[in-house]
Amino acid sequence: MAGLSLELIGLQLFAGLALGSVYVLLAIGLSLIFGMLTVVNFAHGAFFMLGAYVGLWLLSIGVNFWICLVAVPLIVGGFGLAVERTLIRPLYGRGIDYPLLLTFGLSYIIVELVRIVFGKSGYPVATPDALQGAVDIGVGYFPLYRLFVMGVTALILVGLWLFLERTRYGLIIRAGARDAQIVRVLGVNISRVWLMVFGLGCGIAGLGGLLAAPLQGVIPEMGGPILAEAFVVTVVGGMGSLMGAVLAGLLVGVVVSMTSLFAPEMAKVAIFALMAVVLLIRPQGFFGRAGLMS
Amino acid sequence: MSVDAEVILRTESVSKVFGGFTALRDISVDFRRGAITSIIGPNGAGKSTYFNLLSGAFAPTSGRVFFEGRDVTGLPQHRFAHMGVAKSFQITNVFPQLTTHENIRVAAQALQTCFDMWRPRAARRDLIDAADALLHLVGLADRRDRLAGTLAHGEQRALEIGMALASRPRLLLLDEPTAGMSPEETRSMMDLIVKLASERTVILVEHKMKLVMGISNRLLVLHHGELLAEGTPDDIRHNEDVKRVYLGKREH
Amino acid sequence: MTDLADNSAKRLAPSGFLEFARRHRTLLAALFLLVFPLLVPFKALAVNILIYGLYALGFNLLFGYLGLLSFGHSALFGAGAYICGILMVHVGMPWWAGVLLGCVAGAAMAAIIGTFAIRTSGIYFAMVTLALSQCIYYVFYQATGLTGGENGLRGVNVEMISIFGLRLNFVDPLTRYYVVAAFVIVALWILSRILASPFGAVIESVRENEARARASGYDVRRVRLVTFILSGAFCGLAGALQAIHLSIVPIELMHYETSGLVVMMALLGGMGTFFGPFVGAAVFLLLENLVSLWTVHWQLFVGAVFVVCVLFFPRGIWGSILHAMEKK
Repeated sequence: MAGLSLELIGLQLFAGLALGSVYVLLAIGLSLIFGMLTVVNFAHGAFFMLGAYVGLWLLSIGVNFWICLVAVPLIVGGFGLAVERTLIRPLYGRGIDYPLLLTFGLSYIIVELVRIVFGKSGYPVATPDALQGAVDIGVGYFPLYRLFVMGVTALILVGLWLFLERTRYGLIIRAGARDAQIVRVLGVNISRVWLMVFGLGCGIAGLGGLLAAPLQGVIPEMGGPILAEAFVVTVVGGMGSLMGAVLAGLLVGVVVSMTSLFAPEMAKVAIFALMAVVLLIRPQGFFGRAGLMS
Repeated sequence: MSVDAEVILRTESVSKVFGGFTALRDISVDFRRGAITSIIGPNGAGKSTYFNLLSGAFAPTSGRVFFEGRDVTGLPQHRFAHMGVAKSFQITNVFPQLTTHENIRVAAQALQTCFDMWRPRAARRDLIDAADALLHLVGLADRRDRLAGTLAHGEQRALEIGMALASRPRLLLLDEPTAGMSPEETRSMMDLIVKLASERTVILVEHKMKLVMGISNRLLVLHHGELLAEGTPDDIRHNEDVKRVYLGKREH
Repeated sequence: MTDLADNSAKRLAPSGFLEFARRHRTLLAALFLLVFPLLVPFKALAVNILIYGLYALGFNLLFGYLGLLSFGHSALFGAGAYICGILMVHVGMPWWAGVLLGCVAGAAMAAIIGTFAIRTSGIYFAMVTLALSQCIYYVFYQATGLTGGENGLRGVNVEMISIFGLRLNFVDPLTRYYVVAAFVIVALWILSRILASPFGAVIESVRENEARARASGYDVRRVRLVTFILSGAFCGLAGALQAIHLSIVPIELMHYETSGLVVMMALLGGMGTFFGPFVGAAVFLLLENLVSLWTVHWQLFVGAVFVVCVLFFPRGIWGSILHAMEKK
């Protein structure tokens, strides 16, 4: 342990928060969709992967990275809207497993289509020029791009919070998550709200994919493992809780990066151990409501 | 604590808090063996919460529950049936895709065997016969092979009581057994309850006070999560507090 | 879950042939499996259908009958395959011991995953099983010394087997088929008995109404765990048979796509029916065999089966056939 300085641990902590930011972007989408629609989107990983590939494609035809930041979530979110409208909507009221099975199958289709269009092998993605290099964050030099990822995530969270707390639409969403019936009685078109929420969640997942692309490259299968990890985040944080998704996402990121510092081969397994412990102690997660369990 | 043979169920200052909301406050009651005790009160009085504490659906936030002198606070729900406590739900709760007969047979099986996975079900002739006897008792013999989900509402409620009886309970807990029933169905359900009470203790929750006045030995009145009154139907009928709550603003 | 599984369970006493077929389902299945290889273009494909059919039956015990949707069954299937392979390759056990202990390994893996996953139910269960199976995947992937890691565990070879003095050439495809079929038929018989037993009734009642089952005196959590372990035993056996069939245990067996595959097979064939998952496995593998002749993108086909079945065909193939016969 002689080589481990406080600085190194500090840097690794930041790296964990950056990784956690990506988890947060996936988990808030999952949680938002679940909270409103009681649908677990098993295609969420595929939407994440799609975001990375759409970004790759846009960059390759010369679109500016900053424009991608807006365009990718819009495109992926738009695709999410289409999926909700055509495939998921017919399933409401038919049992909780149906949308789950459907989105799981959909993820196969999305992955295979990406393989057909972009090929089976992955690509590296260059960090945008303006975000290359490292900055001194007090404990040492830290890659600028990772700071940027954390910043964008923070921005999204603040924006989402303002949207939910301060707008009429947000009010409807929060009410609808509690009781869809009441919202319907008030004359609000709840199916439109569900549509928008599904699109929003998918769009944020797509943005996550775009942001993760320069960190890990892109490959058609990238959505699978991260879906499992996002599930860990959701279970730890508590299903349907945005606060839970944020805190657990960051925690899981830190756990991964800290474990890889001490025992790299255990990094992937550690977060599942974390989930197992949470399940034993508090099965509904940090912020989950117990009633959701059954 | 001393075992009082006359008392089958006792709650000692039980309270239940949901989130920040106190649904039930400090209720101590002794339920007498062999009696029909009805728990009544207006909507939101905490009747269902109290019922769920008695039947073990959840544990009280504070206080204790004793069944036949034994502390049963916080015991898992499935243990209650084994002790001799059975319940019917407020919302009809059967196994919809099983036949009426199989519904009761499965319920009767619970106290005999769970993990017997080798012999055929038909080998337990005793359970099949017990289920048939109960079908007769609750008047569903001619519905034997129908899927429970296809029965009429009143029939499903009767089936549920049959299922509750399958565990040969000493204490039968009924949560609004006549909810949603026609007047005719209500009358025959009341007759059935009186018949059942001749052999076991019955506690029922009821919204409609008139319905239970005639058949109950004891009554509890809950109001805003507190015990407002307790006594014989006559006591309750003349209780000023109860009059005020039930007759409400008319007196002002 | 109730309506997904609605074509199962007890119905109004069906008449004549259907009732006869139901009572003697294991016997009829055994007879069918005896002639089955004559109907299939390649014997290796027939063996594959047997193995995945068994895997799907084991899965369906949990999904169709108990109503719990697991996305982690690859860990059970893979555990059976790996333990069988490891015991044969590294310990030098005979093939039959490997297969039986593979079956035990599937059950043990189910007990481990189940201990955590059973604490949740409903929608959580699918997520937790998927996550835990991913964890198991990493563990086996990284234990290269035992499992061969990315390259798979090689050398799970069975050539000659002798049963009661009878020496059989396991390399011969037809012999291999009948050896595997013997295991599958015994498994079918056991499964059929379990479902017809008092415990089978408990499984169905927990699916139908958890709260009522609990109030009746059943420990729902234990019923779920025991059923999960039973499911693991069947899937572990299937995995072990796959190991000796392939002579190698590829890491892909542990991948979550192997979990998705079995869900899809059950869905395609009809969950909650006894033979549906087997039919689903057979139809899918036959189609895959055709599809893969003209495209490598057969995963598109897997996804399409999911979407089409969920949206338009929730009874599945076998479920629809039974439904049509019962209506007559």
